[in-house]
Amino acid sequence: MASKFWTQGGSDTEEEETDIEDEIENGGAGETTAAAAGSRYLQTNASDSDDSDGQKRVVRSAKDKRFEEMASTVDQMKNAMKINDWVSLQESFDKINKQLEKVMRVTESDRVPNLYIKCLVMLEDFLAEALANKEAKKKMSSSNHKALNAMKQKLKKNNKQYEELINKYRENPESEEEKFEDEDEDEDEDESGSELEDPSQIAAESSDEDDEGEDVDDDDADGAWEKKLSKKEKLMDREFKKDPSEITWDTVNKKFKEVVAARGRKGTGKFEQVEQLTFLTKVAKTPAQKLEILFSVISAQFDVNPGLSGHMPINVWKKCVQNMLVILDILVQYPNIVVDDMVEPDENETQKGADYDGTIRVWGNLVAFLERIDNEFFKSLQCIDPHTREYVERLRDEPLFLVLAQNVQEYLERIGDLKSAAKVALRRVELVYYKPQEVYDAMRQLAVLSEDGEKDGDETKVEETRGTSAFVVTPELVSRKLTFPENSRALMDILVTLIYKSGDERTKARAMLCDIYHHALFDEFSIARDLLLMSHLQDTIQHMDVSTQILFNRAMAQVGLCAFRVGLIAEGHGCLSELYSGGRVKELLAQGVSQSRYHEKTPEQERLERRRQMPYHMHINLELLEAVHLICAMLLEVPNMAANSLDAKRKVISKTFRRLLEVSERQPFTGPPENVRDHVMAATRALCKGDFQKAFDVINSLDVWKLLRNRESVLEMLKAKIKEEALRTYLFTYCSSYDTLGLDQLTKMFDLSDAQIHSIVSKMLVNEELHASWDQPTRCIIFHDVEYSRLQALAFQLTEKLSILAESNERAVEARFGGGGLDLPLRRRDNQEYAAGTSGGGGGRWPDLSYNQGRQGSSGRAAYTGGGRPLALGQASRDRSSQSRGTGGYSGRAGSGMRGYQMDASARMVSLSRGVRG
Amino acid sequence: MANSMARSFLQVAATEEVASPLRVVQIEGLVILKIIKHCKEFSPALVTGQLLGLDVGSVLEVTNCFPFPIREEDEEIEADGANYQLEMMRCLREVNVDNNTVGWYQSTILGSYQTVELIETFTNYQENIRRCVCIIYDPSRSNQGVLALKALKLSDSFMELYRANNFTGEKLREKNLSWVDIFEEIPIKVSNSALISAFMTELESDTPVTQCDYDGLQLSTKPYMERNVEFLIECMDDLSMEQQKFQFYYRSLSRQQAQQQAWLQKRRTENMARKAAGEEPLPEEDPSNPIFKPIPEPSRLESFLVTNQIENYCNQINGVAGQNFNRLYLMKSLQDN
Repeated sequence: MASKFWTQGGSDTEEEETDIEDEIENGGAGETTAAAAGSRYLQTNASDSDDSDGQKRVVRSAKDKRFEEMASTVDQMKNAMKINDWVSLQESFDKINKQLEKVMRVTESDRVPNLYIKCLVMLEDFLAEALANKEAKKKMSSSNHKALNAMKQKLKKNNKQYEELINKYRENPESEEEKFEDEDEDEDEDESGSELEDPSQIAAESSDEDDEGEDVDDDDADGAWEKKLSKKEKLMDREFKKDPSEITWDTVNKKFKEVVAARGRKGTGKFEQVEQLTFLTKVAKTPAQKLEILFSVISAQFDVNPGLSGHMPINVWKKCVQNMLVILDILVQYPNIVVDDMVEPDENETQKGADYDGTIRVWGNLVAFLERIDNEFFKSLQCIDPHTREYVERLRDEPLFLVLAQNVQEYLERIGDLKSAAKVALRRVELVYYKPQEVYDAMRQLAVLSEDGEKDGDETKVEETRGTSAFVVTPELVSRKLTFPENSRALMDILVTLIYKSGDERTKARAMLCDIYHHALFDEFSIARDLLLMSHLQDTIQHMDVSTQILFNRAMAQVGLCAFRVGLIAEGHGCLSELYSGGRVKELLAQGVSQSRYHEKTPEQERLERRRQMPYHMHINLELLEAVHLICAMLLEVPNMAANSLDAKRKVISKTFRRLLEVSERQPFTGPPENVRDHVMAATRALCKGDFQKAFDVINSLDVWKLLRNRESVLEMLKAKIKEEALRTYLFTYCSSYDTLGLDQLTKMFDLSDAQIHSIVSKMLVNEELHASWDQPTRCIIFHDVEYSRLQALAFQLTEKLSILAESNERAVEARFGGGGLDLPLRRRDNQEYAAGTSGGGGGRWPDLSYNQGRQGSSGRAAYTGGGRPLALGQASRDRSSQSRGTGGYSGRAGSGMRGYQMDASARMVSLSRGVRG
Repeated sequence: MANSMARSFLQVAATEEVASPLRVVQIEGLVILKIIKHCKEFSPALVTGQLLGLDVGSVLEVTNCFPFPIREEDEEIEADGANYQLEMMRCLREVNVDNNTVGWYQSTILGSYQTVELIETFTNYQENIRRCVCIIYDPSRSNQGVLALKALKLSDSFMELYRANNFTGEKLREKNLSWVDIFEEIPIKVSNSALISAFMTELESDTPVTQCDYDGLQLSTKPYMERNVEFLIECMDDLSMEQQKFQFYYRSLSRQQAQQQAWLQKRRTENMARKAAGEEPLPEEDPSNPIFKPIPEPSRLESFLVTNQIENYCNQINGVAGQNFNRLYLMKSLQDN
């Protein structure tokens, strides 16, 4: 048909019009043949279609589709030729080349379809004709002309590959037609063959095909042979299914190697590979082989994940977990199989059957797989919108993973690989540590419920596997049941103990942080604090990876909240202030991306940051955190400001709070409080006047309190604290106005008992904050006017500065004569900076997550000396006190001593050095 | 006046070759009064003015002065200032008054005059006028009942160093220059013409001490002390900063030395190896290497000036405190009586 067109359309273009009709006819004919083929196929296969395997059908239809696509492209090209449209012709040509690739892939043969060759020849002729027709060429539009030239180049290049075939076609254009038909038939046979059950029939058919190929052209035999091979390959799958006795270890192994080799190659369907491998697991001959293949299945399942940022499809994830369980089943069933990723096992190791006595080594790493699964779970939670049902559904999968982790851990413990077991235990810990008891209970219930549900599902599944008649039947030895201790603390204890015993450095650190977090969550402040101090984590956290630093920040935040709940205001503030000093809380806790005004983030950084975000259900409520931080700061700062009203800049407990206060004071009008800050600021204003009731009411109206478990007791505590601080503020502010002040009046004013007021005031007296004394008989406070004059205050300041100067002078001399080396002065500077009070905003030791960490590395030293750590470690504080003893000779020390190294023993452990009322 | 003029011309001619050092600044009483008036009126703003007079051997005579308008930080106005100065000089010459510039005067607050700017102005003046002085008047201190007038000049050795802009420790040691040696204070001698002296004696004889100087008995010196201490604290901060600069310098220096040592060590072992192989040894100096680039030593000028100021404040505090004690004792004895 086409050849007729070609012989006709050789010279003149005017006849094109008539050709179109011809063309239409042509297309119609093609379609009808295709339809006929389809119907024929339907007829022949009508009876067999029930048995057909879904997978193969996909392959077949794809092939069909490809050919159709190609044919339609050829039609398009023909149309383009008729109107001499080289631009669209060029596009079509590119398209057909792409389609060719697909077709080749689908047919899995090396032979180029004749349709394509035909098209090439057609193009070549048309091109030659167009080039010959110079006048027409001149008339062409520029874009068309350009396309023509480009086409010329492309075609020349492209046709070289198929030269032989083209020549062949040119020699014998008639037979091509037949061959095309053949092709169709071939396909049909192919298709029908794939449905046939009897291998002998297939064999006959393939031989038929062979004959035909030979008939048509001897040279073609090569291609046909190739084709046959590929077909046989496909048959193999079927053979496995059909004839269990014929399948040997070798065939499975060969096929397995083949599939694995295709992994990662272009054009290898990821899902298909998974399915192929899954099928292979069913036909595996030995347990070891099954194990090996299962490992590959899991790897392939991981491959399905489209990119680093995306997560694995959830159903794949679930299957992956199931596969892991099967692996464990096998491992439990055959204890002589050893999984190892250190040594490359023998090629035929897996040939050893189930009855083999010695150890069988299989390559694989259970822990790595488990961690990967966990990561994928984590990632999926990151990606899914937390306000959807999907998220909740996803969370329900958590017990599934916990079961797996538990089993893996048990297995590892059994084989004595405690180090890996610790790693697995850490994964479990990380799923449990942030759960309060209620959530934990809910999870337990869910696990129990889903077990019941799963039992039915399991049975059907077992049947299913039997239905496919796996050679190596693996009974479910590993329990699919989650055994939770009653109490999450108990679970944590078991896991953490294991980790502490046998984990590596990072695992231990993370477990410790989780442990601290968990203790803090359960209001056990002293335990959490002791753990934190004993572990010396603050010293080393700077050198850890970012996610551990985030965990550290989270733990600190939780410890701070805990301290607040149990009423330790100063400690709570110490823990939280660093977190808030930089204004990047979100970033530090990895709970959202904070926009920085000063430097733009590169997309790379943003992506990195997004990848380390915490899933929503693990978030620490930021409003609560902020409220707690600001309230702590308020309770400490308000009396402090009142005490140092003369010299406001000297002792600042919370810079953040001061800044906020300044901002709010600058406002011309203060509206009713809206957010947390406004509330605290309003409370601060009331507290400054000593109006504790109003302050408490404002604070009480915050709605974050409903997030607290023991809300009533916390608010009760808060009220008591506010009263106390209101009293202190009042005394500081107005002590100069009184000569004496009656205890009864104070009781009335602040709604506190005599004993409480007595103790508060006495404490102030002892700390020399208030220059007064008790007059017991009259129940009065008698104030002594020992206010410093300004000159005296200045003199104090001067002496302080002088002592600093003298000290640094000494150090300079030391450095000059090489007395103590250079490290010593550096460390000591810590001390000095404190005294100078110039520690700029407590330039924190808070783990800095910003990406410009590298840049800050150089200034890290400065930041180090800059000041306060959240918790002064036992050692550090000892260090410091010894230093201040060493420099005690300077009179100025006496003044700076008030800065507060001396604090009551309990406070010393935890609070910031400057977090104490001086 | 004419008499002194003639003598001065003679002396100038005689001492042209041997430039004797400046011993004394001789100021006319009238000039002092003019300076005090100008400074006091504008206090606490700082003002300056020109000193006119004659350089007569070891004596610098200041015979006249005129104030500058208050300077503002503006280019144009600065140019105006220069014009004003020239115009003023011209006018003075026309009326045949001394118009030879010998320096300038300026007011200060609590003697905080030791600044880099002062030194710069000094060098500017000294380029044109070999001998010049700066007279500094402190109105706030004068309130305490003292005539706080000082005549300063820069020491020669300091000038030399300053021109070379070389204030490293080594140079300073070489010149044996310490912070005390930056400024030289020259004694001031107040001279009046014979007629005025005579008139004064006339007045004095008429009035024995009847008029009390109540200023001298003022007891509230607290603000003065406070401000002194405040300034002192600021100076301390400055000094600490200078010291930190220096520490930083030493630290980087020692680090560099360590690097150099390491490099040398490496080079030596390399040379040994080369020697063994029979090759030419590489040079032990490599000027292109960045670790051999000398780190600039921080200038000590600032810290010297700060030290000077500190001394100044301390002296003031001492002086005032001493006086205060006297007054207090006086008051106490008065009360007792």
